[in-house]
Amino acid sequence: MRMAMKKRFSMTFFPYAFIAPVIILLLVFNILPLLSAFVMSNFDITTSLGRPKFVGLANFTEIFADSRFWNSLLVTLKWTVVEVPLQVILALILAAILTENTLSNKTFRGVYFLPIICSATVTGIMWKLILHSNVGYVTYIFRLLGLGKINFMNSPGLTFFVIVFMSLWKAFGISTIIFVGAMQNVPKSLYEAAEMDSAGKLRQFFSVTVPGIAPTLWFIVMTRLINSFQVFDIVYTTTGGGPNFTTETLVTYIYTRAFEVYKMGYASAVSVCLFIIILIITVVLYSRMLVQERKN
Amino acid sequence: MVKKIKNTILHIPVTVILIIIALVILLPILWMFLSAFKPQGKIISYPPTFLPLDYTLDNFIRLAKRVKIFYFIKNSVIYALMTTVPSVFLCSLAGYAFARYNFKGRNVLFILVLATLMIPFQVIMIPLFLIVSNLGMYDKYLGLVLPKIAVAISIFMMRSAFAGLPKELEEAGRIDGVTEIGLYWKIMLPQVKPTFVTMIVLGINGAWNDLMWPLLITGDMKMRTLSNGLAMFIGQDTQEYGPAFAGAFIAILPMLMLYLFGQRYFVEGTVTSGLKG
Repeated sequence: MRMAMKKRFSMTFFPYAFIAPVIILLLVFNILPLLSAFVMSNFDITTSLGRPKFVGLANFTEIFADSRFWNSLLVTLKWTVVEVPLQVILALILAAILTENTLSNKTFRGVYFLPIICSATVTGIMWKLILHSNVGYVTYIFRLLGLGKINFMNSPGLTFFVIVFMSLWKAFGISTIIFVGAMQNVPKSLYEAAEMDSAGKLRQFFSVTVPGIAPTLWFIVMTRLINSFQVFDIVYTTTGGGPNFTTETLVTYIYTRAFEVYKMGYASAVSVCLFIIILIITVVLYSRMLVQERKN
Repeated sequence: MVKKIKNTILHIPVTVILIIIALVILLPILWMFLSAFKPQGKIISYPPTFLPLDYTLDNFIRLAKRVKIFYFIKNSVIYALMTTVPSVFLCSLAGYAFARYNFKGRNVLFILVLATLMIPFQVIMIPLFLIVSNLGMYDKYLGLVLPKIAVAISIFMMRSAFAGLPKELEEAGRIDGVTEIGLYWKIMLPQVKPTFVTMIVLGINGAWNDLMWPLLITGDMKMRTLSNGLAMFIGQDTQEYGPAFAGAFIAILPMLMLYLFGQRYFVEGTVTSGLKG
Protein backbone atom coordinates (compact mmCIF):
# COMPACT_ATOMS: atom_id res chain seq x y z
CA MET A 1 0.00 0.00 0.00
CA ARG A 2 2.70 2.47 1.00
CA MET A 3 4.83 1.25 -1.85
CA ALA A 4 2.01 1.97 -4.28
CA MET A 5 1.50 5.44 -2.81
CA LYS A 6 5.18 6.15 -3.04
CA LYS A 7 5.25 4.94 -6.61
CA ARG A 8 2.31 7.09 -7.59
CA PHE A 9 3.95 10.11 -5.97
CA SER A 10 7.20 9.56 -7.82
CA MET A 11 5.39 9.03 -11.11
CA THR A 12 3.67 12.42 -10.80
CA PHE A 13 6.45 14.35 -9.10
CA PHE A 14 9.41 13.43 -11.29
CA PRO A 15 8.07 14.24 -14.77
CA TYR A 16 7.14 17.75 -13.61
CA ALA A 17 10.49 18.17 -11.88
CA PHE A 18 12.24 17.00 -15.06
CA ILE A 19 10.52 19.47 -17.37
CA ALA A 20 10.24 22.40 -14.95
CA PRO A 21 13.69 23.95 -15.64
CA VAL A 22 13.28 24.14 -19.42
CA ILE A 23 9.66 25.27 -19.21
CA ILE A 24 10.61 28.12 -16.85
CA LEU A 25 13.55 29.11 -19.06
CA LEU A 26 11.38 29.02 -22.19
CA LEU A 27 8.70 31.13 -20.52
CA VAL A 28 11.16 33.78 -19.32
CA PHE A 29 13.49 33.90 -22.31
CA ASN A 30 11.16 33.02 -25.24
CA ILE A 31 7.46 33.53 -24.51
CA LEU A 32 7.83 36.66 -22.37
CA PRO A 33 10.09 38.41 -24.91
CA LEU A 34 7.67 37.53 -27.71
CA LEU A 35 4.75 39.08 -25.81
CA SER A 36 6.97 42.06 -24.94
CA ALA A 37 7.79 42.54 -28.62
CA PHE A 38 4.08 42.98 -29.35
CA VAL A 39 3.69 45.43 -26.46
CA MET A 40 6.88 47.33 -27.32
CA SER A 41 5.80 47.74 -30.92
CA ASN A 42 3.16 50.18 -29.63
CA PHE A 43 5.68 52.35 -27.82
CA ASP A 44 8.32 54.85 -28.71
CA ILE A 45 11.41 53.59 -26.92
CA THR A 46 14.58 55.45 -27.79
CA THR A 47 17.08 54.16 -25.25
CA SER A 48 17.00 51.27 -22.84
CA LEU A 49 16.76 53.70 -19.94
CA GLY A 50 14.45 56.42 -21.25
CA ARG A 51 10.72 56.44 -20.44
CA PRO A 52 8.71 54.64 -23.11
CA LYS A 53 5.93 56.66 -24.68
CA PHE A 54 2.73 54.98 -25.90
CA VAL A 55 2.13 55.71 -29.58
CA GLY A 56 -0.44 53.05 -30.48
CA LEU A 57 -0.08 51.79 -34.04
CA ALA A 58 1.96 54.80 -35.16
CA ASN A 59 5.06 52.64 -35.59
CA PHE A 60 3.20 50.44 -38.05
CA THR A 61 1.92 53.35 -40.12
CA GLU A 62 5.50 54.61 -40.20
CA ILE A 63 6.66 51.21 -41.44
CA PHE A 64 4.25 51.34 -44.37
CA ALA A 65 5.79 54.59 -45.53
CA ASP A 66 9.38 53.51 -44.84
CA SER A 67 11.10 52.76 -48.13
CA ARG A 68 14.09 51.20 -46.36
CA PHE A 69 11.73 48.68 -44.75
CA TRP A 70 10.23 47.75 -48.13
CA ASN A 71 13.69 47.48 -49.61
CA SER A 72 14.86 45.13 -46.85
CA LEU A 73 11.69 43.06 -47.25
CA LEU A 74 12.34 42.77 -51.00
CA VAL A 75 15.98 41.82 -50.42
CA THR A 76 14.82 39.14 -47.97
CA LEU A 77 12.20 37.80 -50.40
CA LYS A 78 14.84 37.72 -53.13
CA TRP A 79 17.06 35.73 -50.78
CA THR A 80 14.22 33.28 -50.17
CA VAL A 81 13.49 32.85 -53.86
CA VAL A 82 17.15 32.41 -54.84
CA GLU A 83 18.83 30.65 -51.94
CA VAL A 84 16.21 28.19 -50.72
CA PRO A 85 15.51 26.37 -54.02
CA LEU A 86 19.22 26.26 -54.88
CA GLN A 87 20.13 24.79 -51.55
CA VAL A 88 17.28 22.26 -51.41
CA ILE A 89 17.82 21.03 -54.98
CA LEU A 90 21.60 20.82 -54.62
CA ALA A 91 21.29 18.95 -51.32
CA LEU A 92 18.68 16.57 -52.75
CA ILE A 93 20.83 15.67 -55.75
CA LEU A 94 23.99 15.22 -53.69
CA ALA A 95 22.16 13.16 -51.07
CA ALA A 96 20.75 10.88 -53.79
CA ILE A 97 24.26 10.30 -55.13
CA LEU A 98 25.80 9.79 -51.69
CA THR A 99 23.10 7.70 -49.97
CA GLU A 100 25.03 4.45 -49.68
CA ASN A 101 27.47 4.13 -46.80
CA THR A 102 30.58 3.47 -48.88
CA LEU A 103 33.91 4.90 -47.79
CA SER A 104 34.10 7.42 -50.63
CA ASN A 105 30.51 8.58 -50.03
CA LYS A 106 31.17 9.04 -46.34
CA THR A 107 34.30 11.03 -47.15
CA PHE A 108 32.39 13.35 -49.49
CA ARG A 109 29.66 13.78 -46.88
CA GLY A 110 32.26 14.58 -44.25
CA VAL A 111 33.83 17.22 -46.49
CA TYR A 112 30.50 18.80 -47.45
CA PHE A 113 29.51 19.06 -43.80
CA LEU A 114 32.85 20.67 -42.87
CA PRO A 115 31.89 24.37 -43.37
CA ILE A 116 29.67 24.03 -40.30
CA ILE A 117 32.84 24.67 -38.26
CA CYS A 118 33.34 28.05 -39.92
CA SER A 119 31.52 30.91 -38.23
CA ALA A 120 30.03 33.65 -40.38
CA THR A 121 32.99 35.76 -39.29
CA VAL A 122 35.51 33.22 -40.56
CA THR A 123 33.54 32.60 -43.77
CA GLY A 124 33.42 36.33 -44.34
CA ILE A 125 37.15 36.93 -43.80
CA MET A 126 38.04 34.02 -46.04
CA TRP A 127 35.83 34.70 -49.04
CA LYS A 128 36.40 38.45 -48.90
CA LEU A 129 40.09 37.94 -49.63
CA ILE A 130 39.57 35.12 -52.12
CA LEU A 131 37.22 37.41 -54.05
CA HIS A 132 39.36 40.51 -53.45
CA SER A 133 39.20 42.76 -56.50
CA ASN A 134 42.98 43.24 -56.65
CA VAL A 135 44.75 40.28 -55.10
CA GLY A 136 42.05 37.57 -54.80
CA TYR A 137 42.39 34.11 -56.29
CA VAL A 138 39.19 34.42 -58.27
CA THR A 139 40.34 37.74 -59.71
CA TYR A 140 43.61 36.05 -60.63
CA ILE A 141 41.85 33.19 -62.39
CA PHE A 142 39.54 35.62 -64.20
CA ARG A 143 42.56 37.50 -65.48
CA LEU A 144 44.25 34.31 -66.64
CA LEU A 145 41.08 33.58 -68.59
CA GLY A 146 41.29 37.05 -70.06
CA LEU A 147 38.22 38.31 -68.28
CA GLY A 148 37.92 41.73 -66.75
CA LYS A 149 38.24 42.77 -63.13
CA ILE A 150 35.09 42.32 -61.10
CA ASN A 151 34.46 44.02 -57.78
CA PHE A 152 32.56 41.18 -56.09
CA MET A 153 32.01 42.84 -52.74
CA ASN A 154 30.95 46.25 -54.01
CA SER A 155 28.74 45.93 -57.09
CA PRO A 156 25.05 46.63 -56.43
CA GLY A 157 23.72 43.98 -58.83
CA LEU A 158 26.24 41.28 -58.04
CA THR A 159 27.19 41.43 -54.37
CA PHE A 160 23.84 39.99 -53.27
CA PHE A 161 24.54 36.80 -55.23
CA VAL A 162 28.05 36.61 -53.83
CA ILE A 163 26.62 36.64 -50.30
CA VAL A 164 24.06 34.01 -51.31
CA PHE A 165 26.94 31.87 -52.57
CA MET A 166 28.76 32.20 -49.22
CA SER A 167 25.61 31.21 -47.38
CA LEU A 168 25.13 28.19 -49.67
CA TRP A 169 28.77 27.23 -49.23
CA LYS A 170 28.27 27.19 -45.48
CA ALA A 171 24.92 25.41 -45.25
CA PHE A 172 24.25 22.99 -48.13
CA GLY A 173 26.16 20.18 -46.40
CA ILE A 174 23.82 20.20 -43.42
CA SER A 175 20.75 19.74 -45.62
CA THR A 176 22.60 17.07 -47.60
CA ILE A 177 23.38 15.05 -44.47
CA ILE A 178 19.78 15.27 -43.23
CA PHE A 179 18.51 14.10 -46.64
CA VAL A 180 20.99 11.21 -46.63
CA GLY A 181 19.65 10.08 -43.27
CA ALA A 182 16.11 10.13 -44.63
CA MET A 183 16.99 8.38 -47.89
CA GLN A 184 18.69 5.55 -46.04
CA ASN A 185 15.37 4.85 -44.35
CA VAL A 186 13.44 4.43 -47.61
CA PRO A 187 12.77 0.67 -47.86
CA LYS A 188 15.02 -1.13 -50.35
CA SER A 189 12.06 -3.19 -51.57
CA LEU A 190 10.50 -0.09 -53.15
CA TYR A 191 13.58 0.39 -55.33
CA GLU A 192 13.59 -3.29 -56.25
CA ALA A 193 9.93 -3.05 -57.31
CA ALA A 194 10.76 0.02 -59.41
CA GLU A 195 13.68 -1.86 -60.92
CA MET A 196 11.28 -4.66 -61.92
CA ASP A 197 9.13 -2.11 -63.69
CA SER A 198 12.39 -1.12 -65.44
CA ALA A 199 12.16 2.42 -64.16
CA GLY A 200 15.37 4.38 -64.75
CA LYS A 201 17.40 6.04 -62.01
CA LEU A 202 15.78 9.41 -62.67
CA ARG A 203 12.32 7.89 -62.58
CA GLN A 204 13.17 6.08 -59.33
CA PHE A 205 14.33 9.34 -57.80
CA PHE A 206 11.05 11.10 -58.50
CA SER A 207 8.64 8.22 -57.84
CA VAL A 208 10.39 6.42 -54.97
CA THR A 209 12.96 8.65 -53.26
CA VAL A 210 11.11 11.96 -53.18
CA PRO A 211 7.79 10.54 -51.86
CA GLY A 212 9.77 8.33 -49.47
CA ILE A 213 11.43 11.28 -47.80
CA ALA A 214 8.45 13.64 -47.99
CA PRO A 215 8.34 14.49 -44.25
CA THR A 216 12.05 15.36 -44.25
CA LEU A 217 11.70 17.32 -47.47
CA TRP A 218 8.92 19.37 -45.89
CA PHE A 219 11.01 19.83 -42.76
CA ILE A 220 13.99 21.12 -44.73
CA VAL A 221 11.93 23.39 -46.98
CA MET A 222 10.16 24.81 -43.95
CA THR A 223 13.27 25.43 -41.84
CA ARG A 224 15.21 26.81 -44.82
CA LEU A 225 12.36 29.18 -45.69
CA ILE A 226 12.09 30.39 -42.12
CA ASN A 227 15.89 30.72 -41.90
CA SER A 228 15.95 32.80 -45.06
CA PHE A 229 13.87 35.40 -43.25
CA GLN A 230 16.44 35.52 -40.46
CA VAL A 231 19.58 36.18 -42.50
CA PHE A 232 21.92 38.44 -40.57
CA ASP A 233 25.33 36.98 -39.68
CA ILE A 234 26.83 36.62 -43.12
CA VAL A 235 25.62 40.09 -44.14
CA TYR A 236 26.94 41.66 -40.95
CA THR A 237 30.41 40.13 -41.40
CA THR A 238 30.75 40.95 -45.11
CA THR A 239 28.86 43.97 -46.42
CA GLY A 240 26.88 45.31 -43.47
CA GLY A 241 23.95 45.77 -45.86
CA GLY A 242 25.75 47.59 -48.67
CA PRO A 243 26.46 48.48 -51.36
CA ASN A 244 23.52 50.84 -51.57
CA PHE A 245 21.35 48.68 -49.23
CA THR A 246 21.25 45.90 -51.85
CA THR A 247 22.10 43.28 -49.23
CA GLU A 248 20.21 44.81 -46.31
CA THR A 249 17.88 42.07 -45.09
CA LEU A 250 14.96 42.52 -42.69
CA VAL A 251 16.98 41.41 -39.69
CA THR A 252 19.93 43.60 -40.66
CA TYR A 253 17.51 46.50 -40.80
CA ILE A 254 16.00 45.60 -37.41
CA TYR A 255 19.50 45.41 -35.95
CA THR A 256 20.53 48.84 -37.19
CA ARG A 257 17.25 50.41 -35.98
CA ALA A 258 17.49 48.85 -32.52
CA PHE A 259 21.19 48.81 -31.74
CA GLU A 260 22.73 51.52 -33.87
CA VAL A 261 20.14 54.30 -33.80
CA TYR A 262 18.33 52.95 -30.70
CA LYS A 263 14.79 53.16 -32.05
CA MET A 264 13.79 50.08 -30.10
CA GLY A 265 10.02 50.55 -30.28
CA TYR A 266 10.11 50.98 -34.03
CA ALA A 267 12.49 48.04 -34.44
CA SER A 268 10.11 45.92 -32.35
CA ALA A 269 7.30 46.81 -34.73
CA VAL A 270 9.43 45.59 -37.64
CA SER A 271 10.15 42.42 -35.61
CA VAL A 272 6.43 41.88 -35.18
CA CYS A 273 5.97 42.15 -38.96
CA LEU A 274 8.77 39.60 -39.39
CA PHE A 275 7.09 37.28 -36.91
CA ILE A 276 3.74 37.53 -38.70
CA ILE A 277 5.39 36.73 -42.05
CA ILE A 278 7.12 33.69 -40.57
CA LEU A 279 3.93 32.58 -38.85
CA ILE A 280 1.97 32.76 -42.13
CA ILE A 281 4.64 30.74 -43.96
CA THR A 282 4.70 28.12 -41.23
CA VAL A 283 0.92 27.76 -41.07
CA VAL A 284 0.47 27.63 -44.87
CA LEU A 285 3.25 25.09 -45.36
CA TYR A 286 2.20 22.99 -42.41
CA SER A 287 -1.41 22.73 -43.58
CA ARG A 288 -0.16 21.92 -47.10
CA MET A 289 1.95 19.17 -45.63
CA LEU A 290 -1.00 17.71 -43.73
CA VAL A 291 -3.13 17.73 -46.89
CA GLN A 292 -0.32 15.98 -48.76
CA GLU A 293 0.07 13.36 -46.06
CA ARG A 294 -3.64 12.62 -46.02
CA LYS A 295 -3.52 12.03 -49.77
CA ASN A 296 -0.79 9.40 -49.47
CA MET B 1 26.63 -4.97 -70.63
CA VAL B 2 25.45 -1.86 -72.40
CA LYS B 3 23.89 -0.70 -69.15
CA LYS B 4 27.17 -1.21 -67.32
CA ILE B 5 29.12 0.86 -69.83
CA LYS B 6 26.45 3.53 -69.66
CA ASN B 7 26.77 3.54 -65.89
CA THR B 8 30.54 3.99 -65.88
CA ILE B 9 30.36 6.73 -68.49
CA LEU B 10 27.85 8.51 -66.30
CA HIS B 11 29.90 7.77 -63.20
CA ILE B 12 32.99 9.74 -64.26
CA PRO B 13 31.43 13.20 -64.68
CA VAL B 14 29.45 12.71 -61.47
CA THR B 15 32.63 11.92 -59.54
CA VAL B 16 34.40 14.87 -61.14
CA ILE B 17 31.61 17.20 -60.01
CA LEU B 18 31.68 15.74 -56.51
CA ILE B 19 35.44 16.34 -56.34
CA ILE B 20 35.11 19.91 -57.63
CA ILE B 21 32.54 20.71 -54.94
CA ALA B 22 34.83 19.15 -52.34
CA LEU B 23 37.70 21.32 -53.56
CA VAL B 24 35.57 24.47 -53.39
CA ILE B 25 35.13 23.67 -49.72
CA LEU B 26 38.60 22.41 -48.83
CA LEU B 27 40.89 24.73 -50.77
CA PRO B 28 39.70 28.03 -49.25
CA ILE B 29 39.95 26.62 -45.72
CA LEU B 30 43.38 25.13 -46.39
CA TRP B 31 44.56 28.35 -48.02
CA MET B 32 43.39 30.37 -45.03
CA PHE B 33 45.19 28.02 -42.64
CA LEU B 34 48.43 28.39 -44.58
CA SER B 35 47.99 32.13 -44.97
CA ALA B 36 47.79 32.59 -41.22
CA PHE B 37 51.52 31.78 -41.22
CA LYS B 38 52.50 33.92 -44.20
CA PRO B 39 54.00 37.39 -43.86
CA GLN B 40 51.37 40.08 -44.48
CA GLY B 41 53.08 41.07 -47.75
CA LYS B 42 52.68 37.55 -49.16
CA ILE B 43 48.97 37.40 -48.33
CA ILE B 44 48.11 40.45 -50.40
CA SER B 45 50.69 39.89 -53.13
CA TYR B 46 49.73 39.51 -56.75
CA PRO B 47 49.64 36.89 -58.18
CA PRO B 48 48.36 35.11 -55.05
CA THR B 49 50.46 32.35 -53.51
CA PHE B 50 49.23 29.09 -52.06
CA LEU B 51 52.17 27.60 -50.18
CA PRO B 52 54.08 30.02 -47.97
CA LEU B 53 57.80 29.89 -48.64
CA ASP B 54 58.67 31.55 -45.38
CA TYR B 55 56.68 30.84 -42.25
CA THR B 56 56.12 33.35 -39.49
CA LEU B 57 54.13 33.75 -36.30
CA ASP B 58 54.08 37.48 -36.88
CA ASN B 59 50.33 37.54 -37.63
CA PHE B 60 49.51 35.97 -34.28
CA ILE B 61 51.73 38.43 -32.42
CA ARG B 62 50.17 41.39 -34.22
CA LEU B 63 46.69 40.03 -33.53
CA ALA B 64 47.48 39.75 -29.81
CA LYS B 65 48.67 43.36 -29.85
CA ARG B 66 45.58 44.66 -31.63
CA VAL B 67 42.78 42.85 -29.79
CA LYS B 68 42.27 41.09 -26.44
CA ILE B 69 42.54 37.70 -28.11
CA PHE B 70 43.12 35.74 -24.89
CA TYR B 71 39.93 37.14 -23.41
CA PHE B 72 38.10 36.27 -26.63
CA ILE B 73 39.30 32.68 -26.41
CA LYS B 74 38.45 32.39 -22.73
CA ASN B 75 34.97 33.84 -23.29
CA SER B 76 34.27 31.57 -26.25
CA VAL B 77 35.24 28.53 -24.21
CA ILE B 78 33.04 29.67 -21.31
CA TYR B 79 30.11 30.51 -23.58
CA ALA B 80 30.33 27.22 -25.49
CA LEU B 81 30.66 24.98 -22.43
CA MET B 82 28.39 26.84 -20.03
CA THR B 83 25.52 26.82 -22.50
CA THR B 84 26.00 23.34 -23.95
CA VAL B 85 26.53 21.29 -20.79
CA PRO B 86 23.43 22.52 -18.89
CA SER B 87 21.50 22.60 -22.15
CA VAL B 88 22.01 18.98 -23.17
CA PHE B 89 21.45 17.87 -19.60
CA LEU B 90 18.20 19.78 -19.04
CA CYS B 91 16.85 19.29 -22.56
CA SER B 92 17.49 15.55 -22.47
CA LEU B 93 15.82 15.38 -19.05
CA ALA B 94 12.75 17.16 -20.41
CA GLY B 95 12.76 15.08 -23.59
CA TYR B 96 12.93 11.97 -21.43
CA ALA B 97 9.97 13.09 -19.33
CA PHE B 98 7.91 13.90 -22.42
CA ALA B 99 8.72 10.53 -23.99
CA ARG B 100 8.46 8.14 -21.04
CA TYR B 101 5.97 9.50 -18.51
CA ASN B 102 2.22 9.99 -18.62
CA PHE B 103 1.32 13.10 -16.72
CA LYS B 104 -1.43 15.70 -16.71
CA GLY B 105 -0.82 18.54 -19.13
CA ARG B 106 1.86 16.67 -21.04
CA ASN B 107 0.46 17.45 -24.47
CA VAL B 108 -0.23 21.10 -23.67
CA LEU B 109 3.29 21.60 -22.33
CA PHE B 110 4.81 19.82 -25.30
CA ILE B 111 2.85 22.03 -27.70
CA LEU B 112 4.19 25.02 -25.76
CA VAL B 113 7.71 23.73 -26.36
CA LEU B 114 6.99 23.19 -30.06
CA ALA B 115 5.49 26.66 -30.32
CA THR B 116 8.76 28.22 -29.17
CA LEU B 117 10.35 26.42 -32.10
CA MET B 118 8.50 28.91 -34.28
CA ILE B 119 9.79 31.98 -32.44
CA PRO B 120 12.92 33.06 -34.26
CA PHE B 121 15.63 34.56 -32.08
CA GLN B 122 15.72 37.62 -34.32
CA VAL B 123 12.11 38.43 -33.48
CA ILE B 124 12.64 38.43 -29.73
CA MET B 125 16.18 39.78 -29.54
CA ILE B 126 15.24 43.35 -28.63
CA PRO B 127 12.96 42.53 -25.66
CA LEU B 128 15.33 39.76 -24.65
CA PHE B 129 18.17 42.25 -24.60
CA LEU B 130 16.11 44.61 -22.43
CA ILE B 131 14.94 41.85 -20.06
CA VAL B 132 18.43 40.44 -19.56
CA SER B 133 19.91 43.94 -19.17
CA ASN B 134 17.27 44.90 -16.61
CA LEU B 135 18.07 41.74 -14.65
CA GLY B 136 21.55 43.25 -14.28
CA MET B 137 23.14 40.65 -16.53
CA TYR B 138 24.51 42.90 -19.31
CA ASP B 139 28.18 42.07 -19.86
CA LYS B 140 27.87 39.13 -17.45
CA TYR B 141 28.43 35.45 -18.24
CA LEU B 142 25.06 34.60 -16.73
CA GLY B 143 23.30 36.91 -19.17
CA LEU B 144 25.23 35.44 -22.06
CA VAL B 145 24.42 31.87 -21.10
CA LEU B 146 21.01 31.71 -19.45
CA PRO B 147 18.74 32.47 -22.46
CA LYS B 148 20.54 29.86 -24.56
CA ILE B 149 20.01 26.83 -22.32
CA ALA B 150 16.44 25.75 -23.13
CA VAL B 151 16.37 24.82 -26.83
CA ALA B 152 13.13 23.50 -28.29
CA ILE B 153 14.76 21.52 -31.09
CA SER B 154 17.02 19.70 -28.60
CA ILE B 155 14.05 18.77 -26.41
CA PHE B 156 12.28 17.58 -29.54
CA MET B 157 15.23 15.48 -30.74
CA MET B 158 15.78 13.93 -27.33
CA ARG B 159 12.10 13.08 -27.02
CA SER B 160 12.23 11.25 -30.38
CA ALA B 161 15.35 9.38 -29.31
CA PHE B 162 13.90 8.28 -25.95
CA ALA B 163 10.50 7.40 -27.46
CA GLY B 164 12.10 4.66 -29.53
CA LEU B 165 13.38 2.66 -26.54
CA PRO B 166 11.60 -0.54 -25.40
CA LYS B 167 9.29 -0.40 -22.38
CA GLU B 168 10.98 -3.44 -20.73
CA LEU B 169 14.10 -1.40 -20.09
CA GLU B 170 12.55 0.89 -17.50
CA GLU B 171 10.23 -1.77 -16.09
CA ALA B 172 13.20 -4.00 -15.30
CA GLY B 173 14.93 -1.07 -13.67
CA ARG B 174 11.92 -0.18 -11.55
CA ILE B 175 11.59 -3.78 -10.33
CA ASP B 176 15.25 -3.67 -9.34
CA GLY B 177 14.45 -0.60 -7.25
CA VAL B 178 16.38 1.95 -9.32
CA THR B 179 15.34 5.53 -8.49
CA GLU B 180 13.68 7.65 -11.20
CA ILE B 181 16.81 9.77 -11.59
CA GLY B 182 18.99 6.68 -11.68
CA LEU B 183 16.69 5.25 -14.34
CA TYR B 184 17.26 8.27 -16.56
CA TRP B 185 20.95 8.66 -15.89
CA LYS B 186 22.19 5.07 -15.70
CA ILE B 187 19.80 3.11 -17.88
CA MET B 188 18.04 5.31 -20.44
CA LEU B 189 20.60 8.00 -21.27
CA PRO B 190 23.35 5.55 -22.33
CA GLN B 191 20.87 4.10 -24.84
CA VAL B 192 20.64 7.37 -26.77
CA LYS B 193 24.35 8.14 -26.75
CA PRO B 194 24.64 8.96 -30.50
CA THR B 195 21.91 11.61 -30.25
CA PHE B 196 23.39 12.91 -27.00
CA VAL B 197 26.91 13.19 -28.43
CA THR B 198 25.60 14.82 -31.61
CA MET B 199 23.78 17.39 -29.49
CA ILE B 200 26.91 18.15 -27.47
CA VAL B 201 29.06 18.55 -30.58
CA LEU B 202 26.52 20.68 -32.47
CA GLY B 203 25.77 22.66 -29.31
CA ILE B 204 29.40 23.57 -28.65
CA ASN B 205 29.91 24.36 -32.33
CA GLY B 206 26.75 26.49 -32.46
CA ALA B 207 27.63 28.53 -29.39
CA TRP B 208 31.26 28.92 -30.46
CA ASN B 209 30.16 30.33 -33.82
CA ASP B 210 27.16 32.28 -32.52
CA LEU B 211 27.45 35.91 -33.50
CA MET B 212 24.28 37.76 -32.66
CA TRP B 213 23.61 37.22 -28.96
CA PRO B 214 27.21 37.86 -27.79
CA LEU B 215 27.22 40.90 -30.06
CA LEU B 216 24.16 42.32 -28.31
CA ILE B 217 24.76 41.42 -24.70
CA THR B 218 28.46 42.26 -24.38
CA GLY B 219 30.02 45.69 -24.65
CA ASP B 220 33.31 45.42 -22.82
CA MET B 221 36.21 44.25 -24.98
CA LYS B 222 37.10 41.77 -22.23
CA MET B 223 33.67 40.14 -22.52
CA ARG B 224 33.64 39.54 -26.27
CA THR B 225 33.83 36.09 -27.81
CA LEU B 226 36.02 35.13 -30.77
CA SER B 227 33.13 35.28 -33.19
CA ASN B 228 31.96 38.81 -32.44
CA GLY B 229 35.36 40.16 -31.35
CA LEU B 230 36.91 39.19 -34.68
CA ALA B 231 33.87 40.42 -36.60
CA MET B 232 34.35 43.86 -35.03
CA PHE B 233 38.09 43.74 -35.70
CA ILE B 234 37.71 43.03 -39.42
CA GLY B 235 34.85 45.48 -39.60
CA GLN B 236 37.11 48.27 -38.35
CA ASP B 237 40.04 47.63 -40.59
CA THR B 238 39.83 45.30 -43.54
CA GLN B 239 43.46 45.85 -44.48
CA GLU B 240 44.75 43.74 -41.58
CA TYR B 241 44.40 40.41 -43.35
CA GLY B 242 47.33 38.69 -41.66
CA PRO B 243 46.00 39.10 -38.10
CA ALA B 244 42.45 38.41 -39.33
CA PHE B 245 43.58 35.06 -40.74
CA ALA B 246 45.47 34.29 -37.54
CA GLY B 247 42.23 34.96 -35.66
CA ALA B 248 40.26 32.79 -38.04
CA PHE B 249 42.83 30.01 -37.55
CA ILE B 250 42.37 30.22 -33.78
CA ALA B 251 38.59 30.23 -34.19
CA ILE B 252 38.48 27.20 -36.48
CA LEU B 253 41.11 24.89 -34.96
CA PRO B 254 39.20 23.72 -31.84
CA MET B 255 36.04 23.21 -33.89
CA LEU B 256 37.97 21.20 -36.47
CA MET B 257 39.19 18.87 -33.73
CA LEU B 258 35.70 18.60 -32.29
CA TYR B 259 34.37 17.89 -35.77
CA LEU B 260 36.88 15.10 -36.38
CA PHE B 261 35.90 13.57 -33.05
CA GLY B 262 32.16 13.81 -33.64
CA GLN B 263 31.82 13.38 -37.38
CA ARG B 264 31.34 9.59 -37.36
CA TYR B 265 28.11 10.19 -35.45
CA PHE B 266 26.47 12.50 -37.96
CA VAL B 267 28.10 11.50 -41.24
CA GLU B 268 26.49 8.06 -40.97
CA GLY B 269 23.18 9.84 -41.33
CA THR B 270 21.40 7.83 -38.68
CA VAL B 271 21.15 10.47 -35.99
CA THR B 272 20.02 13.36 -38.12
CA SER B 273 17.15 11.29 -39.50
CA GLY B 274 15.51 11.86 -36.11
CA LEU B 275 15.14 15.50 -37.13
CA LYS B 276 12.40 14.83 -39.64
CA GLY B 277 9.53 15.57 -37.26
